[in-house]
Amino acid sequence: MFYREAGQFKTTYASDMAVLPILQDRIGLAVILLIGFVGIPLLGGNFFLQTVMIPFLVFSLAAIGLNILTGYTGLLSLGSGAFMGVGAYACYKLTTIYPGVNIVIWIVASGFFAAAIGVVFGLPSLRIKGFYLIVATLAAQFFLQWSFVRIPWLYNYNASGAIEVPQRLFAGIPLTGANATPVTRYLVLLGIVTFLTWIASNLVHGRIGRSWMAVRDMDIAAELMGIRLLPAKLLAFAVSSFYCGVAGACMMFLWYGGGEANDAFNINQSFTILFMVIIGGLGSLIGSFLGAAFISILPTALKFGVPALGIAIPGTVAEHATYILLGALIIFFLIVEPHGLARLWQIGKQKLRMWPFPY
Amino acid sequence: MDLIYSIFVDPFLQMAGAPDLLVQTLWEGFVGGILYALIALGFVLIFKASGVFNFAQGIMVVFAALTLVGLYEKGVPAFLALALTIGVMFLIAAAVERVVLRPLVNQPDIILFMATFGLTYLLIGLGEAIFGGNPKVMIAEQLYLPKGAVDIKMLGGVVTLQKIDIAAAVIALAMIACLSVFFQYTRIGRALRAVADSHKAALSVGISLNQIWVIVWFLAGVVALITGIMWGARSDVSFALQVVALKALPVLVLGGFTSIPGAVVGGLIIGIGEKIGEFYWGPLVGGATESWLAYCIALVFLMFRPQGLFGERIIERI
Amino acid sequence: MSALAEMLQGEVARAAAETLLTVENVSLTFGGVRALSDISFDIRKGEIRAIIGPNGAGKTSMLNCINGFYHPRSGRITFKGKTRQRMRPYEAASQGIARTFQNVALFKGMTTLDNILTGRTLKMNRNFFWQLLRHGPAMREEIEHRIYCEDIIDFLEIEHIRKTPVGKLPYGLQKRVELGRALAMQPDLLLLDEPMAGMNLEEKEDMCRFILDVNRHFRTTIALIEHDMGVVMDISDRVVVLEYGHKIADGTPDEVKADQRVIDAYLGVSH
Repeated sequence: MFYREAGQFKTTYASDMAVLPILQDRIGLAVILLIGFVGIPLLGGNFFLQTVMIPFLVFSLAAIGLNILTGYTGLLSLGSGAFMGVGAYACYKLTTIYPGVNIVIWIVASGFFAAAIGVVFGLPSLRIKGFYLIVATLAAQFFLQWSFVRIPWLYNYNASGAIEVPQRLFAGIPLTGANATPVTRYLVLLGIVTFLTWIASNLVHGRIGRSWMAVRDMDIAAELMGIRLLPAKLLAFAVSSFYCGVAGACMMFLWYGGGEANDAFNINQSFTILFMVIIGGLGSLIGSFLGAAFISILPTALKFGVPALGIAIPGTVAEHATYILLGALIIFFLIVEPHGLARLWQIGKQKLRMWPFPY
Repeated sequence: MDLIYSIFVDPFLQMAGAPDLLVQTLWEGFVGGILYALIALGFVLIFKASGVFNFAQGIMVVFAALTLVGLYEKGVPAFLALALTIGVMFLIAAAVERVVLRPLVNQPDIILFMATFGLTYLLIGLGEAIFGGNPKVMIAEQLYLPKGAVDIKMLGGVVTLQKIDIAAAVIALAMIACLSVFFQYTRIGRALRAVADSHKAALSVGISLNQIWVIVWFLAGVVALITGIMWGARSDVSFALQVVALKALPVLVLGGFTSIPGAVVGGLIIGIGEKIGEFYWGPLVGGATESWLAYCIALVFLMFRPQGLFGERIIERI
Repeated sequence: MSALAEMLQGEVARAAAETLLTVENVSLTFGGVRALSDISFDIRKGEIRAIIGPNGAGKTSMLNCINGFYHPRSGRITFKGKTRQRMRPYEAASQGIARTFQNVALFKGMTTLDNILTGRTLKMNRNFFWQLLRHGPAMREEIEHRIYCEDIIDFLEIEHIRKTPVGKLPYGLQKRVELGRALAMQPDLLLLDEPMAGMNLEEKEDMCRFILDVNRHFRTTIALIEHDMGVVMDISDRVVVLEYGHKIADGTPDEVKADQRVIDAYLGVSH
């Protein structure tokens, strides 16, 4: 009854072409941002921020990245974990070589390195299509992962062979390293994610997004429309890897606070992100968030939520249960709604628009 | 200059200098390749007959091997355990058809592909919950698989062949031959090929899709079991195998997804290529190249033949 | 002046009209199969040119050669005075050749409006950085093209499905959206591959009207493939007839209708 566009007349094309043409949606977004920036930092404890919100945001960013490549451009990739790694190592090198520059700048800049590597591994995509492209991205995944371990220069010859995140200040407050509070890290991360989501939304709603989707839906027709396939695909690889790279840098610097490539950026990470995109909905930005929320929060909820209810389960059992549940849920969701949570979201909104009438 | 020498000249001098080592490396690559081909074969069976890219094949191998060893550890005699495991694989096939495939008929390939991802997670969770996550030893002796090694004196050195490797190669080749005959000359084989071409057309001539799917998933399960036994006998049975199973992907891509001989040739190229590459060129870049070399070999082939070695040439129409 | 003389004069004027596209001795083979052998014809500016022939005669292959999707094994294609050997489809598109497809080749996941806007891709040139912001020049450009596309939507009478994903539309409307997408490219030469296949009489009449309107109002040169002889003879200025990859006739509808080889090709000959 309250959610509908009746009475909201659009008198210009600009207002019709807005990303959120319905007033209630815009209000909703404002409320969500308000909760995100003010409510959660005030009310959520450190534990909640560190184990729920920060992972969720990092994965959302990575899922947006993969969604641009797989959902919007139709190129299947199993290398997003490695591209995240490129971002993390680039950020680490940059901030240890130039410690004076603000770390947030380096986190975002590290995306460009990931983008460059992404373009290199995207080159075969002109000739190789469909499932065959998985091999190219797997080559990226395993080769890059190998490089992270074999090139000691990347981790500054640390004896541990891992990234050791140094302390960096942001506006005088420690943002990375052991002294940074979850609230600071969360707020900066939320800022980065909000900004990059806005950019992604601009891209996919304009000419570039249309040409990506055209390539996805019918590449031959797209080419006959004057879209050059290789540049369009490479741009998708670049933008996608950029997002994954920034997500990787955020993961290392704002969440893990240090770690090793084979743990953080392995093939399982790539799978996880692919799940998020599929469960969330291919070709939908909001789906990336829904998918990331679902898959990153589920294991945490099982691990901490069930014992909180008074049912004690050993850690290993919880882990197995997570796997089983995750697998079953993936199959369940695919059967119920192959187009992901984003489609359910849309159907829900449609119902709400009609409510209380059935049609 | 040194670099060029060490890349283009030195490895070949090493090969010529110690031909017995070369033969040993080739043999190991050959056996590895056969085992990759076996995993790929499971993929090919299912892809041929249902168009589903079954990501769970790797975990099916682990699961089958775990079930066999697990049953034996519970006190079931070896061959009874083998029969029971085959039964379990049939149950899995029937369950997959009923719960996963049937509700997803006519969905896009990517959706079915993702569903097998879900299956992978399900099987990992189940396998670990039932059998535990620790590596187990394959019951090779109880199944009368040969043990030990034969040394062959040749080319001024000794080449050691593990008997289990020889057995693996023989069994694998026999199975590949059987499956080729089955596909080509039996009624079910023809129905399988028909289903692969078009679900709807196959249905319209009275082929039962559900039955066919149970059959191929069961066949793939049996292939997985044999692969699991062979692989388990060479190393041990653990979930680490699952990452190895990913290498079936470049093998498939080389072989062209639907071709049984393609899977074999692809497996051999990858198996031998990565062993030779690691042994002679690996040290130049710091070793452990086996994790990615297979994919790069496949990638190079693909750049020249995007449809794989045995795939049909793609003619684009509009 | 008699009616006949007037008609003759018209013919002469048309013959003198500028040639837009010339196809000279084009041959195309797939493996050992000759899809086209030694085809020559031309398309004049402003005319509606039909390519007809039985199934498998090579009509679609001919269009594919014209817009660069297939590369002829020999022969030359000259468009707007420029001769080319090999070109990529996007180059043909940027020179002003648009087309529709026999089996609708729309972007199924996108809305009607987005599909038609895709046709404007080549005319949009705000760079990547403006696209990132989607404000200022990028938005102005977007709106400018939106207005152009809205005109096409009006013209094709598809306002009501503007925001519907095209995958959900019935076949006839999909064909119309596809025409809209091609028109959005503001082409000099519009290739239509069986625009009326699978349509009922009413839809065919609509489509004929659109084709003729496009030809008259936008002065777009059109080459079309069509199986409905009534339609072809009514709306086209000149007709090329292909059979088994060979050209067997070329001329006005009346000339072609009278040609013995054409009659044989369509009705069969007793041997």
